[in-house]
Amino acid sequence: MNEEQKTMALQVGVTVLILLAALTIGEYFIGLFAPYWWAPLMAIALLKAFYIVRDYMHIGRVFAGDEAEEHS
Amino acid sequence: MSTGTLSIADYHKKTVTNRLGLWLFIVSDAFVFAGLFIARFYLYGAGVRPELSQIVGLIVTSILVLSSFFANRGEVSMAYGDTKGYFRNTLITIILGIAFLIGVVGVEWQIAPYGPDHDALWSLFYTMTGFHAFHVLTGVIFLIIVYRNARKGLYTAERHFPVEAAAVYWHFVDVVWVFFYPALYLIGLPPI
Repeated sequence: MNEEQKTMALQVGVTVLILLAALTIGEYFIGLFAPYWWAPLMAIALLKAFYIVRDYMHIGRVFAGDEAEEHS
Repeated sequence: MSTGTLSIADYHKKTVTNRLGLWLFIVSDAFVFAGLFIARFYLYGAGVRPELSQIVGLIVTSILVLSSFFANRGEVSMAYGDTKGYFRNTLITIILGIAFLIGVVGVEWQIAPYGPDHDALWSLFYTMTGFHAFHVLTGVIFLIIVYRNARKGLYTAERHFPVEAAAVYWHFVDVVWVFFYPALYLIGLPPI
């Protein structure tokens, strides 16, 4: 555990936040001007969920098992 | 057996099992939300949505996304032994969670043009947002309990599964809203 690893882990959080903010603004405008475009809106929702589940919920830890207790 | 008496290796082994249990719970809970999500499209398709304030929808969604960011920072801080960082970020997460609840139940529900007994669409709207809000409330309570335990010094960088569990649950609540937001606020137009 060192400061460099911590900074990297926090940086991942910032990157995901920027992605989520951009996608949320994007879907807001799609909803405003093209409310029948359900497929792109669902694709954006899936993409947002993917980033949250992978980087915030760390789903990889579930499959890593015993030997990996790193804080990815 | 208290986790405090376990060796680090045993604690990590126990965490692997605890983590699996947490995810099994989350998957089973997700099925209930998925049922509500499917019901919304099964009944009304992609052409109709409830008449809601788009601005309120965007604000509450932004609040929840931001809260997830701070929940992540809190968990990372604890994982690296920065308890001050954990306290600061978790407190912000709790405040944002309460702000989300106020936005949905205190604002959106009050300005909505119809009540839950108007028709199936509005009944679904209140069920979806109400069920989700209840999860946000339990998430806030969970975060407060873990925060309080952390204040007592119960968690360390090596032993902090409850901190991780509270954060993962919080992110799950965010993931649910990621799908509910377009389903309720963006897809389709209000019926004329």
